[in-house]
Amino acid sequence: MTTTIVLQQAINGIVLGSLYVLVALGLTLIYGVLVQINFAHADFVTLGAFAAYFFMHLVGLGYIPSIAVALIVGAAMGWLINASIFTPLRRKNNELLPLIATIGVSVMMQNLMLAWFGPIPYAFETEFSRHVIRFAGIFVSWQNVIIIVVSALTIALLYVFMKFTFLGKALRAVSQDRETAGLMGINPNFLIMLTFVIASALAGMGGAMLAPVLVLTPFAGTSVIVKAFAIVIIGGFGNVEGTILAGLIVGLIESYTTQFLNPGLIDIVVFALLLLMLAIRPTGLISERREENV
Amino acid sequence: MSALLEIAGLELAYGQVAVCRNISLRLDRGEIVALIGANGAGKSTTLRAIAGLLSPRRGTIAFGGRDVTALPSYERSKLGIALVPEGRRVFPFLTVRENLELGGFNSRKDPSTLKRRMERVFAMFPRLSERSSQNAGTLSGGEQQMLALGRAMMSEPQLLCLDEPSLGLAPIIVHDIFQTIRAINAAGTSILLVEQNARHAFETAQRGYVLQTGSVIASGSCATLKRDPRVQEAYLGRTATRR
Repeated sequence: MTTTIVLQQAINGIVLGSLYVLVALGLTLIYGVLVQINFAHADFVTLGAFAAYFFMHLVGLGYIPSIAVALIVGAAMGWLINASIFTPLRRKNNELLPLIATIGVSVMMQNLMLAWFGPIPYAFETEFSRHVIRFAGIFVSWQNVIIIVVSALTIALLYVFMKFTFLGKALRAVSQDRETAGLMGINPNFLIMLTFVIASALAGMGGAMLAPVLVLTPFAGTSVIVKAFAIVIIGGFGNVEGTILAGLIVGLIESYTTQFLNPGLIDIVVFALLLLMLAIRPTGLISERREENV
Repeated sequence: MSALLEIAGLELAYGQVAVCRNISLRLDRGEIVALIGANGAGKSTTLRAIAGLLSPRRGTIAFGGRDVTALPSYERSKLGIALVPEGRRVFPFLTVRENLELGGFNSRKDPSTLKRRMERVFAMFPRLSERSSQNAGTLSGGEQQMLALGRAMMSEPQLLCLDEPSLGLAPIIVHDIFQTIRAINAAGTSILLVEQNARHAFETAQRGYVLQTGSVIASGSCATLKRDPRVQEAYLGRTATRR
């Protein structure tokens, strides 16, 4: 019986963890390239959730296409906000301006969504939530299967992009040394734009898949983003592999805490881990090796 | 000879601090030109301005007859200007191979050209080939200098700007690096060389400019400069004077 519970909660934890990974990866990518925290990231999660909700209910093509719609809406909004707000501010050569602007964008997006969608939570149910697979005493809903498959595919695609394509390598180069990347003929502004688009697309997609487990209001993203920040710090700011590992760990901690301790303790356990990490390994789980010979 | 690079009346500053007051110089196709001068004379700053990392307050930079003063660094790289920056600046968490690939970023749609250039770099520096899958940050200083040079050559530039290629390296490696620089030039690349070690610079270059506190104080062929008393006193020391 106990092994079943442990396995069951492992699956729940991985489901939750992969969603956290999707959200946290965007934060970490933007931090890596811009050395800037994007406080509006949570609102792209909310936006994605609403985009999926309305696409499902107004167009009625089902849940899976609505995930794609959330991804596209997130990407488009990321492009728009970067082009219209962040890029002009970055030209002023003051690092604080774009950072503060991300807080402004967050307030703006939350209130626009509040004006359009109202404060009452939406019930997000998909056609897959009620269909459950039973396997050796474990229950997995089709919804969770979709989440795991879509997240794993997305993360794998992102990994291949970063590791094996010219643009992905250029992106890593920009995050290591923006000036020298410019000397190679890489246009840093283009890669900053690309980073925002990818990060916002991931957040939007994460939102569409998180929506059924969230209380879907215009402030829904905020509850996720606090954990995403913790994950980014535990994984090492700007470190993609570390973020993936940390996201899964936090997901597992959350599901086991719910099962064996008390759901109210989740944040306490996660942030205790965060403090512990900051104390013993401030560079993150997988710290990049900085052996440099001179 | 047509001028590949022509700089006129360049005034450069970091914020309010003026570094170069009035720099004018030219470099013809096929030449190696040395910029020498003491620390803080403005040599590196001049190279940064040529590569497009610093926009001048005043003055113009023309490359291949075209005014490039307003172009950002990534556009100048496409025109054929490459800079091996001070301190080498390899991408530490990319492998040696990835560093080289990014050096050829402008030709990324032409894999066969990239492959040919990479083979040439590996032939020039066999050590890089042995370490091609290692992170660049784990290389020794000399290897990083080779990588920075190889990375710049991956774009097959018309003008290669080198900022202190000998800095912090063992004498035997310095010798190799300068030999390679001469070979690169013999194969047709024009070179602008910034060196604190004036002796190495004069052995390698045909012409030189001497910078002092942000201005050109002497210029001419290296043979002439070597006999200039100001240059001898300041940069060559007594052994050169004795001859």
